[in-house]
Amino acid sequence: MSQSRKILLGAGGAYLLLVVLAFILFGSAGRQDFVPQEEFELPTWIELGPLDINKAVLYLLISGILTCVTMVYIAKRMEAKPNRIQTAVEVLYGVMRDNITRGNMNDKMAAKWFPFIGALFLFIWFNNLIGFIPLPTGHHHFTVLGLEIPTFGIYAATANVSVPLVLSLLVFFSYTFEGIRAKGVGGYLKSLIPAGVTGAMAGFIFVLELLSNIMRIVSLSVRLFANMLAGHLIILFMAGGLAILLGIAGIGVFLLPIGIALYLFEVGLVATLQAFIFATLSAIYIGGAVAESH
Amino acid sequence: MNLLFAAEEAEEGGSGLVSPVIGVMLWTLIVFGITLIVLWKVAFPRIAEALDKRQRMIEESIDTAEKTKREADELLREYRERLSDARGQADDIVARARRTADAHEQESQAEARTKREEMMDQTRRDIEAETRRAIQQIRSEVADLTVLATEKVTRKSLDSSDQKRLVDEALAELDFAALANEERR
Repeated sequence: MSQSRKILLGAGGAYLLLVVLAFILFGSAGRQDFVPQEEFELPTWIELGPLDINKAVLYLLISGILTCVTMVYIAKRMEAKPNRIQTAVEVLYGVMRDNITRGNMNDKMAAKWFPFIGALFLFIWFNNLIGFIPLPTGHHHFTVLGLEIPTFGIYAATANVSVPLVLSLLVFFSYTFEGIRAKGVGGYLKSLIPAGVTGAMAGFIFVLELLSNIMRIVSLSVRLFANMLAGHLIILFMAGGLAILLGIAGIGVFLLPIGIALYLFEVGLVATLQAFIFATLSAIYIGGAVAESH
Repeated sequence: MNLLFAAEEAEEGGSGLVSPVIGVMLWTLIVFGITLIVLWKVAFPRIAEALDKRQRMIEESIDTAEKTKREADELLREYRERLSDARGQADDIVARARRTADAHEQESQAEARTKREEMMDQTRRDIEAETRRAIQQIRSEVADLTVLATEKVTRKSLDSSDQKRLVDEALAELDFAALANEERR
């Protein structure tokens, strides 16, 4: 048996033992009063009329500022001979410009719409990633040295339907605007009907296409929001939420490694992938609106 | 159970999870708008400029490298041509020298042969002349001896006409040519 296998087996055994011990010692610690969606509630912190500050706004501001500061900082330090970080940024820039934008529309449109698509990608990406850093924004409080500190929690502005909805609406208006500008109102509406469809069928298809255009807003926003929310919820459950809900402490020890694995999965893949999907779909919609055949 | 109940409550209560909140939407518009403007006007142009500059630089260096390579190739070709020319010329020179030397050798050999033959001829002629002279001398000495011998035998001197006749008779019978031939051998 190799050394690493021994260590692995030892760790596995210790983990199992810990689970059993937790079951025996705290087996029926009893349910606590815990409501998971409280983590996603948005109580008003500062009253500013329609511009109330709450947790989502805080996350929005943090990620907005970080997006700007990071990108401007990098842009100001661009050098002829790139270091590793600059190379990574250049690769990211290349992906945004060439793959996401130019890959889905003609060059003239790409030059015009790249800032929007790039900003969408970076803004969503930063929002998603910031969402996985625990910040003291929790619903409950704990006391350290007399200071009442909110519990640390993970939250993302994109895990709230309002944020993706606004971005989706922006995309919807952008591509509708571009489509109408390229083809005129009548031309654009006519272009919604696929080529070759005529007669009574055309009317039916037109209604369907109109609906599907509006559904794009829903699908675009819900895809992002639901993915982020589900990620946060499952991490929350694995990291102790389920143990409290069910009142079985042992299960918490058992689920924690799964929680860590899911956390890494969310940060490493889902956060980036969702930003990429949102930006790519936006580019496809904008490119498709001006394309000759729909 | 608790969870299900809570979820229902959340949907009704509008915790901002599923139902949009106007405040957050406005904030999103503002924050995204500012981010868009900052990226559009400040960050992206600089990055694009740096990338374009680098691309131009790379293209220029590739062009320069290609030009240099072409020049080097041209030079190499020229040098090779010159080298092969020089080699050809050298071969020519060597061949010419060899031909000249050969011609010289043959000429001098022929000359030497001619000279030798001339000398041999001369020698041969000298020997013949010498031989003729010797034979002549022997003949006259033999004549004198014959006269003397005849005088001694006849006890009288022969007059000149007699002498002459006798000698000529005697000598006519002797073949001195054989003697000459023997000497030459």
